[in-house]
Amino acid sequence: MPRLDGPVPFRGGGFAPQSRAWAAAATLLGLIALWQAAASAGAIPTLFLPPPAAIARALWHLTVSGELWKHLSASLSRLAVGWVLGTVFGILTGIAVGLSSALRSPAMAVVSALFPIPKIALVPLFIIWFGIGEGSKLATLGFGVFFPTVIATAGGVDNVSRGLIRMGQSFGLSTWEITRKIVLPGALPAILSGFRVTSSIAIVLLVAAEMIGADRGIGAFVLSAGNLYDTDNLLAGIVLLSALGLTVAWLIGLAERALLRWR
Amino acid sequence: MPVRRLLALMTAFLTTTLTVMALASPTHAADTLRLGLLRTLSPAPFYIAQERGYFRDQGIDLSFTFFQAAQPIAAAAVAGDIDVGVTALTGGFFNLAEKGTLKVIGGALHEEKGYQGSAILVSKAAYAAGLTSLDKLPGHSVAITQYGSSFHYMIGRIAEAKGFDIKTVTLRPVQQIANMVAAVGSGQVDATIAIASQAKPMEAAGQAHILGWAGDIVPYQITALFTTTAMTTQKPDLLHRFAKAYQRGVADYRHAFLRLDAQGNPIVDSAADAAIPAITAYVFTGDPDARAKILQGVGYYDEGGALDVADVTEQIKWFRAQGLVKGDMDPASMIDTRFLPTR
Amino acid sequence: MTAGLRLVLDKVGHAYDDMTVLDDISLTAEPGRVTVLVGPSGCGKSTLLGIMGGMLAPTTGTVCCQGEVAPDCLNPLTYVFQDFALLPWRSVAGNVALVLEGRLSRAERADRVREVLALTGLTAFADAWPRQLSGGMRQRVGIARALAVRPACLLMDEPLSALDAQTRALLLDDFAALIERSGTTTVYVTHNLAEAVRLGHRIVVLSRRPGRIREIVSIDRPLSDRRAGDADLAAMEAALWDMIRDDAAAAERDGPVSGHVSA
Repeated sequence: MPRLDGPVPFRGGGFAPQSRAWAAAATLLGLIALWQAAASAGAIPTLFLPPPAAIARALWHLTVSGELWKHLSASLSRLAVGWVLGTVFGILTGIAVGLSSALRSPAMAVVSALFPIPKIALVPLFIIWFGIGEGSKLATLGFGVFFPTVIATAGGVDNVSRGLIRMGQSFGLSTWEITRKIVLPGALPAILSGFRVTSSIAIVLLVAAEMIGADRGIGAFVLSAGNLYDTDNLLAGIVLLSALGLTVAWLIGLAERALLRWR
Repeated sequence: MPVRRLLALMTAFLTTTLTVMALASPTHAADTLRLGLLRTLSPAPFYIAQERGYFRDQGIDLSFTFFQAAQPIAAAAVAGDIDVGVTALTGGFFNLAEKGTLKVIGGALHEEKGYQGSAILVSKAAYAAGLTSLDKLPGHSVAITQYGSSFHYMIGRIAEAKGFDIKTVTLRPVQQIANMVAAVGSGQVDATIAIASQAKPMEAAGQAHILGWAGDIVPYQITALFTTTAMTTQKPDLLHRFAKAYQRGVADYRHAFLRLDAQGNPIVDSAADAAIPAITAYVFTGDPDARAKILQGVGYYDEGGALDVADVTEQIKWFRAQGLVKGDMDPASMIDTRFLPTR
Repeated sequence: MTAGLRLVLDKVGHAYDDMTVLDDISLTAEPGRVTVLVGPSGCGKSTLLGIMGGMLAPTTGTVCCQGEVAPDCLNPLTYVFQDFALLPWRSVAGNVALVLEGRLSRAERADRVREVLALTGLTAFADAWPRQLSGGMRQRVGIARALAVRPACLLMDEPLSALDAQTRALLLDDFAALIERSGTTTVYVTHNLAEAVRLGHRIVVLSRRPGRIREIVSIDRPLSDRRAGDADLAAMEAALWDMIRDDAAAAERDGPVSGHVSA
């Protein structure tokens, strides 16, 4: 019989990556520094890829000239209104889909059919329906946000324990009370993770929405800079969009921490 | 081992793709030349020269690379995908030219007095509300494709000519020409600029009103022929031959479409009918109304493909003044007049 | 207790699709007494409890209430659930308050919550999240919530079966004290015969599927006199086990059937 002697070899461990915030920041800063160094040394042609310093300069000019705030305020108000519209209607529809047998199949059929349509392709239609002004822009953002919100909310409602709902019924809670106090809070984690997706979608669609008839807004600014091959400003606009995305993700993280303390 | 099999499969796929690509790419003869252009009526003299073999006569194997929009044509030249191009002179074009890699070498479409090129088109509602002449444009909305486009420039020059500040009109960038016309047709904006073949049918149908023609107010070089700085230094001979063939095309085009009678109306005779098939080889192919559309849509080309240097310089100054073009390069250094005449 | 609620079942039967789980159950839960339902798994105990509280409609037969209900009773038929059914996003006090909201003034509500938390030994945990509590503590919250509505009838669905043996023994004594003190009519479903003899005034033995009443055993000793391990209770437990052992073995071979109120 073969013998087995000596200490038992360790075979566990690993497969448990840890998040390190400083490493994320250091990587980004390192890449930017490397980019700047390569550009300064002439390794990257600055003709059509402006170095970080040129982008920073463009951002500085935008800030001091007041242009930044003009574009940012237009985009932020569009984002806020469009996103809130899509989210409110999306959550209402999602709850209806999650709770009502009469609405479930019809609404999901419509949502499944319309969700995959690129909203950018609908922009010309939105212009005919809602006009060239703010209407079509809000519609583009709102529709883009609506469908993922419905799907996230309906999924969240489906995952609310039926046991909790039965408990509510057994204590004589009304349908409205059950919806507000049991279903909605129970679906909240799914709805909030839906927010992460929809806020990114809204920022992506901002550029599409501001393609038509917008004279201000970060999206319009990026498009205009692109058309003019104004690469410094183009990249400055992209940096702004990226910063906008990071800020929104951070705010949602704060909201999650505040609203989901119970987890 | 599924991973190993997958890797093998990917390698095989990659090898096949690369082989096919290598076989598919044509072998370069000495005098091939790639021209970037829009598939519209405006580069018609190039179609004529190509179909009539004028480039071949010069020992040039010219290939057309068609683009969906004017802006990318200049970018394609910078990237080395085309050697010469004909495109609208825009803020984007001049910004690329500021980098020193592009040179304007000849004229193409020109807005000209007496020739109906681009119309200032006003919506029915705006017209009814009193927008009946160009000096009343302030306070109204005007659709353009993009900031820094030819349309933006035209509005700016019209504003100068009519003595109002361009800031008093609301510019609406709508990205595409089709959107501009639709925006006026549906009353979403008060005015726009549209080419004759679009503007005239809309006025005839009572959907819009034409307030005037850009050529009558601000004659200017709307599109031009350009190449890369490298081409002008490395292959000037090839460009000279290319320019000669182009001039023959322009001469045929002018003879076919741009002769006017004593009343200022275009003369349409057998010369036009002879030129039309060369054009329908590229645009309006198979369209039964092709002849009418071409006759209605042809624009003005200067004799000999001449470049309006004074106007190009003016354009660069205007775009700079608007903050749309950055840089302080001497406009003359963006232009190379060795190949074609100047106006 | 002369006043109180009597629950009368008359020829109750129930079937899921074409599988009969309960057949011809006629039974009365006497006011102020504890009726325990025991039987092999899958015999329909929990289904019967669901029918008694109006959470399931019986396929045949009727369930009637008879008697008087105290004026401060907010929910006459009140459940205690096997899986506790606590809202994870509400604190202990919040879970109890849930069933009082909209029915009592804010001050009354606070008094009532304080009272039932004191009764169940949870005063120190009023602000804790459910996830911070042990299983036994969570079920105390379930009991506190049930008592808060001043029920006329407590319907307890295997309330101790999700807990470990030590916690179960401790909580069992608490239950006995609370039930005796509150004097409500109680129906208690369990598969644990020790619990049955500790708490039951009447023990209803159900046969294996389809569940029928096989035997009803009465124990007249007051709950406060009983101790786990009393000789007569042990003998009773053994007798009950003899009654259901063969059925339990047969049910084990058939496999269980799900018939849970909170399933």
